[in-house]
Amino acid sequence: MFVQYAILGIFLIVALHPPQDGTTEAVIKEFKDRVARYWEIHKKAEAAAPPIDKKKEDPAAILEHEKALSAGIRAARANAAEGEIFTPPVQKALASAINQELSSGRGKQAREMILGEGNPKNPESPAKINLVVNGKYPSNAPLSTVPPSVLLNLPKLPEGLEYRFVGRHLILFDSKANLIVDILRNAIR
Amino acid sequence: MRTINVVLLLVCVVAVSFVFAQNIQLPMKKDSVRFAAIGDNGTGGRAEYQIADKLTAAHQRFPFEFVVMMGDNLYGSEAPKDFNTKFEKPFKGVLDLGVKFYASLGNHDDPARQISYEKFNMGGKHYYSFKPKNGVRFFSLDSNYMDKRQLDWFENELKASMSEWKIVYFHHPIYSSGEKHGSNVELRSTLEPVMVKYGVDVVLNGHEHFYERIKPQKGIHYFIIGSSGKLREGNIAQTELTEKGFDQDNTFMLGEISGDDMFFQVISRKGTIVDSGNIRRAEMTRKATTSR
Repeated sequence: MFVQYAILGIFLIVALHPPQDGTTEAVIKEFKDRVARYWEIHKKAEAAAPPIDKKKEDPAAILEHEKALSAGIRAARANAAEGEIFTPPVQKALASAINQELSSGRGKQAREMILGEGNPKNPESPAKINLVVNGKYPSNAPLSTVPPSVLLNLPKLPEGLEYRFVGRHLILFDSKANLIVDILRNAIR
Repeated sequence: MRTINVVLLLVCVVAVSFVFAQNIQLPMKKDSVRFAAIGDNGTGGRAEYQIADKLTAAHQRFPFEFVVMMGDNLYGSEAPKDFNTKFEKPFKGVLDLGVKFYASLGNHDDPARQISYEKFNMGGKHYYSFKPKNGVRFFSLDSNYMDKRQLDWFENELKASMSEWKIVYFHHPIYSSGEKHGSNVELRSTLEPVMVKYGVDVVLNGHEHFYERIKPQKGIHYFIIGSSGKLREGNIAQTELTEKGFDQDNTFMLGEISGDDMFFQVISRKGTIVDSGNIRRAEMTRKATTSR
């Protein structure tokens, strides 16, 4: 009888706590390394851009800083291609995490948050965005709201780098430079 | 003849402002914290200018120290000239009086341009808090991007806050009777537990283009002030949530905190008092906060 319970117990433990997928861990680590390399480029470009004077912050100075920052990043990543950070294994892992959350009990509202007003492909807030790596995210385009439940399931990013959606596509968005860093097409199924 | 007409017009404007100012009946107690709240204002359109004029007129009778903004501070283009036409120009009256604005970000706002903009006082942050006076703290959140970093910051700030009054504001309402959007349950499940745990008293939101005061939920008072520029007429659905709703004109809010009371008035573009009242801090909230 004891042995039967022990076997059942082991079975339950294994069923409820599946072993960590070493492959996924390695994929996420690789993703974080690529993000870190991008962020080094960002920091160098930011250091070279004209600083925003803390006491005289005005919209023109902010725009000048943003333009110089994005130009610096573009120059340093002139040959960057789609999938350089969102590599195919990363795309698979992130899309899986996103869709798992969106198909959960509270997924309906999360989906509405992403695709609703604020998403630049939503008919109520349409904006033309040229979805290319190193492309500018236009200042007149709204930013999609990303639900906390989705964000909590994605790898952490440096402050200033964000996950955003354009339609069903996930973009890696540099919010200080207003720049599209990479694209994961049709991330939402 | 033309001069007489201009003089008559000016007399009328002054008279209307005076009569309107008399309608403001906040107690103006000694050492109270006085503020205004606006939301979804940044259209650069006529309604925004009219609300801003009423705000300036209200300041004569009720000299508030600062204005909190619920997001969608600038719609559409955010070139340097737009900061002028959609914010500085309409609100010139109050800005010239030295009134400070503290913005939060809406889904139509460009964070890169707004968080460093001096007149929004965000200090280069998507989320921040400020203490206008001992005993009162305002927390401005970015509900468009509520990641773990922000959630941890918010919880730590609340935990460390020794203020009796904790007022939180962000764009998306977690309780709403709006037909267009309604309650953001997703955000609620993340934010409400921490706000209840640390005794948040009042939450101010925008996003819905009307005014609504929600029946207190788990001891927290919720207001939607999302019609200071945009308006979605007739959009408040009949729900159990509404304590008071108004979706027929643009509005803004005036607030005064004194001791355990927060007095408020909500005023329309035409100068009508749409809602007013007094919130008394709940006993449980007082117990939840430690000594100051």
